[in-house]
Amino acid sequence: MSDRRPKLLEKLRHDVNSKCGSLVGAAALLPESAPDETREILALMARQAAELAKAVADVERDWDA
Amino acid sequence: MFYNASHMVKLSILVIEDDPLARKVMAAQIGEHAVEFALDAASARQKLEAGNSDLCFIDLELGDGEDCAGLDLIPLAVAKGIYTVVMSGHDSEKIVERAYARGCDDFYSKGNEATNVGRIIARFLKRREPSGTGDLFTERFITEDPATRATVADALKYAASDLPILILGPSGTGKTNLARIIHDHSGRSGHFVSINCAAYTDDLLEAELFGYRKGAFTGAGDNRKGKLLAADRGTLFLDEIGSMSLNMQTKLLKAIEERSFYPVGSDRAETSDFRILSATLEDLQGLVKAGKLRFDFFQRIHGLTIELKPLAERTCDIFPLLSFYTRAGKRLSFTAEAKELLLRHDWPGNIRELKKFVDLLVAAHEGRVTPETVQKLLRVALVEDGAGEFVTEDQYDLALQKGLDAAVERFVDSIVARNLDANDGKKTRVLEDLKISTRLLYASLKRHGGRSAKP
Repeated sequence: MSDRRPKLLEKLRHDVNSKCGSLVGAAALLPESAPDETREILALMARQAAELAKAVADVERDWDA
Repeated sequence: MFYNASHMVKLSILVIEDDPLARKVMAAQIGEHAVEFALDAASARQKLEAGNSDLCFIDLELGDGEDCAGLDLIPLAVAKGIYTVVMSGHDSEKIVERAYARGCDDFYSKGNEATNVGRIIARFLKRREPSGTGDLFTERFITEDPATRATVADALKYAASDLPILILGPSGTGKTNLARIIHDHSGRSGHFVSINCAAYTDDLLEAELFGYRKGAFTGAGDNRKGKLLAADRGTLFLDEIGSMSLNMQTKLLKAIEERSFYPVGSDRAETSDFRILSATLEDLQGLVKAGKLRFDFFQRIHGLTIELKPLAERTCDIFPLLSFYTRAGKRLSFTAEAKELLLRHDWPGNIRELKKFVDLLVAAHEGRVTPETVQKLLRVALVEDGAGEFVTEDQYDLALQKGLDAAVERFVDSIVARNLDANDGKKTRVLEDLKISTRLLYASLKRHGGRSAKP
């Protein structure tokens, strides 16, 4: 199903752009954040990073499907 | 919109975003305003319908399983008079075009919220200023022609974006004026910097655009900032862009893409965040086909192309323009025949010619304006405007015999020499009078063997 590949890549590019964008923005907030908020942001960042890894894994899985 | 105790404008902002981390980042950037979040399209519609927001940020992908679901929210937000900003991980031209086609006011690619969000709010506030658009067609771009009004209004929709805009139209139709208006509506905090690419040789254009270091060439006595740096956080307007050489196009393209460049004679890169507007009266697609314009350069400068009509094709503007140019002084009264003559005139120099005509009329005429006066002054205005015959037969013959470059140099040298004499040999006065670079002055003096110049 190679005709799906451009769409898969386009979605991946979007996911990488937006999720990394949020991660970069969140990392910039950390130095100014209170301890409780830092913990909350770190948890959200961990979740975001996991979703990013899943987005890559999905493309890898579907590439030859 | 309201003002808080410190008199800062406090806006009501709706952020439509399904990603919790992105919401956290946005909250930090706009926390001093009244912020409300919508997590999906359904709740976003409810909040938009309420119409309480000054401004909304819409994420294109809302996790509803549909591609770019956020696009569908744009018309509702616009209909409610909310300044609509689309934010997305998609930055392809196709997506940006789709967002603008739905009527959004602004667009940015996610990833640099600290800069982007502040800039967008500044643009929004600029647009809210009372003098923003209300008097546009009666004070700044005088026109009653519906098509021209639509063209200008279309251009202003993109004023706040970073999209390059190419303005086409014959000389004197108001291209520079429109570029300045676009800049004034852009919300960009830097200056409007204009350069006429046809007025310089390749070397001079490079020095003007990129600047130079002291000693980079004969006559470069000091470091000089170029137009690219002067336009930092502002707008660089490239007039007559079709006359730029392929070599310069290559250099400028690199500077546009990398937002950095090297001044002539410098090994240290300068950076500048400038937006490109350009204008020409030439057929750029024809120049691309003829190999005189790089295709990639053309692609870079023509994000949006708008075309201004010649004055002869919008005769409804002739009398409004006459009134505008005379509003502070003498009122003019034309006979019916004189009016008819003005409407039938071709206006080859367009608005610039009309302005010159008004200046001549106001300066020298008393009483009701007759067809004879109109005819006489239109001839003078045409010559003074430069749209008529400008080159003498001798100059034309010289260009044929020695080549155009040699003829232009002779022309430049004659004017420099005459102005130098008029200023008693003071070079600083010549630079000021003729608005030329030090480099051009010294090149001319060198051809003339130095003459009797003083600093």
